[in-house]
Amino acid sequence: MRGVLVRALEWRARRFSDPVDRLQFLRRNLEARRQGSHVKAAFIIVLAMGAALLFTAWLWTSSRHMTIADANTATLGLPTKLPAVTASSAAMQAASIADTPEPAGPVWLVQTTSQFDLYSNGLRIEQQYGTSTAPRQYIAFASDSSHTIDWAGEWRTEPAGIVYHTTESHLAPFEEDQNQSLRRAGEGLLEYVSRRRSYHFVIDRFGRVFRVVRESDYANHAGNSVWADGNRIYLNLNQSFFGIAFEASSKSSGAEPAVNAAQVYAGRILTQMLRARYGIPASNCVAHAQVSVSPVNHAVGYHRDWAANLPFLQLGLADNYKLPLPSVELFGFQVDAGLAGAGASSLAEGLEAAFAQVRRDAAAHHLPVERYRENLWQRYRDAIRAQRGKSAQQEYN
Amino acid sequence: MSDTHTQNPTALGLDVGTSRIVAAQRQDKDIQFDTQLNAFVTIPFSKLTQGVLKKEQIPHLVQDSEITVYGDESERFANLFHRETRRPMLRGILNPDEAGSLMLVRQIVRLVMGEGEGQGRRVCFSVPAAPLGANNEVTEHENSLKEMLSKMGYDPHPISEGLAVVYGEMEASNYTGIGISCGGGLCNVCLSYLSVPVFSFSIPKAGDFIDEGVSQLRGEPATRIRTIKEESFHFNGHFANKIQQALVQFYEDMIQALLAALKDQFASVQNMPKLNRPIPLVLSGGSVMPPGFRDRFEKSLREIELPVAIAEVRMASNPMVSTARGALVAALSEL
Repeated sequence: MRGVLVRALEWRARRFSDPVDRLQFLRRNLEARRQGSHVKAAFIIVLAMGAALLFTAWLWTSSRHMTIADANTATLGLPTKLPAVTASSAAMQAASIADTPEPAGPVWLVQTTSQFDLYSNGLRIEQQYGTSTAPRQYIAFASDSSHTIDWAGEWRTEPAGIVYHTTESHLAPFEEDQNQSLRRAGEGLLEYVSRRRSYHFVIDRFGRVFRVVRESDYANHAGNSVWADGNRIYLNLNQSFFGIAFEASSKSSGAEPAVNAAQVYAGRILTQMLRARYGIPASNCVAHAQVSVSPVNHAVGYHRDWAANLPFLQLGLADNYKLPLPSVELFGFQVDAGLAGAGASSLAEGLEAAFAQVRRDAAAHHLPVERYRENLWQRYRDAIRAQRGKSAQQEYN
Repeated sequence: MSDTHTQNPTALGLDVGTSRIVAAQRQDKDIQFDTQLNAFVTIPFSKLTQGVLKKEQIPHLVQDSEITVYGDESERFANLFHRETRRPMLRGILNPDEAGSLMLVRQIVRLVMGEGEGQGRRVCFSVPAAPLGANNEVTEHENSLKEMLSKMGYDPHPISEGLAVVYGEMEASNYTGIGISCGGGLCNVCLSYLSVPVFSFSIPKAGDFIDEGVSQLRGEPATRIRTIKEESFHFNGHFANKIQQALVQFYEDMIQALLAALKDQFASVQNMPKLNRPIPLVLSGGSVMPPGFRDRFEKSLREIELPVAIAEVRMASNPMVSTARGALVAALSEL
């Protein structure tokens, strides 16, 4: 919660262009937080209410069939009816999956040196920050269309998907006279993520692709997270998914896109290579905000990078924002008020589709939605326990 | 944004440094800086000299059998009379060996802030962070300046020099980062997180340390060393000149001492905030001006292991005035 508040505070501070106003805003808010619990509580309540109002507005505008009351209660996680199922949203899900493009063709390694790898689609991966962790190995749970899960699990070593991140690092203005600062910021970032083994790849602001953790190993990029495809459920995606980070901030100012054309192009050919070489389905190429969860408050979008505006189409993918969020659908996660602050309008359809599915499933089980959701949370706890148990067993053996 | 706020348009920022005093105030959208050397020279009294000084409007005081010329003009008169300039401050605080140091600082402050009374204008003035074991001296210095400014009619508020650099230069990172000011007497450092100082410290190795060290090593007056340092010294390439070689050596000593202290601070600080991204580091002050300093500093920085990642090492937009700018930002924001 503290991290969320700090991020919200930073985000709001950035909206002040005058340095004096910005400092005034930061100091006043931090001072308020430092002072007694009354002031602190008031600040939190005001922030939460503001975020809730924003989120309410977003839900209202994104769903023609949802009332404001529905949106309020759904947002705040209060016991109530969930958004009505609409034929249009269900059709949208099907359409998005049907539209999923396939990889353009084979991509092969042309040349490998100590400095770089070159691929047949023009992709060049710089090696100087490359590092390793341990070979990838994870448990995936098989699931059928009725959401029956096989808890026996299956050990796998092949990557199942890609999670796209932003580094949220310090960004110098992207201007010619800032070349030195831009280069330095990129180098500092790469050293940092390499030390922390944070991603598999980083795409810097000049569109260069840097390898961080090698492809055969896991990387630290999506700890508490959930995704699922038609066949399997994946938990804690550090092991099962590649992590690609764009040197960017999701909260870029004004109408500016978070990434530039060079970065998008690099992301496209990198995605193409990974999908071609590892047979990754397009529907498993997703934004960090889509997969990130908080087990503490059962909320989705704990990390909010790419909560909106990931250029799926330019990356050669379908608009995966439309996919229902498995964390909501399978494990009953909810939306917390702060997600609205990340400008998460792109996620609206996926959330709506997932909420609708939960409502349908609850009805099928003859349970109130809240009660059904509690069952789903228990399912998540069981899944995590099963995963940990099997990992420990594997280690012991 | 809907947040209501007020700014005090008449507030001032004041950098009271060992070698320079700089005042900053807002003029519409711009900031106006006024700067003077924090130095003086005494010359023998004569009516003729006093008359010339008055006519030329050169700031001076007459005391007993001496005339004291202060501020920027002191350097010119020092050269004219073949003397060394003297400093009212030493290693960041009022010079205990100069009896009239506070009075001279007051005169120089008047030069940069204007002759009129303060009229209750808010002024944030820079004070050094305490060097190890010298807390009392800094407190005394701070109290003396505060009293002086109060008597001049201002509403004075101290601000740590390193934090002022952060406020002056790190708006883009929401005032998170490391601000370093390498001045004449001290190098001041502050790590700030969202405008709140996490730690501040200073080391007594800065411009004067370099000048005096090279002076002793090469047997040249410190003033001459300073002139060479400011006019022609740079870090790029190799030097046949022994003074230049010595300057490199003492600069290196300063950088290493600064980085070692920084590393120690990180190791000893409690309640370190969780920094979820690399932070910037900004260099300011007169002693960072030689070409190539930034690169040399960054190279040494990358050789030590800090517990935080540094996104970039950059020079302040104007290293000579960034402390005053930050003090002004603090004053305007009515903290």
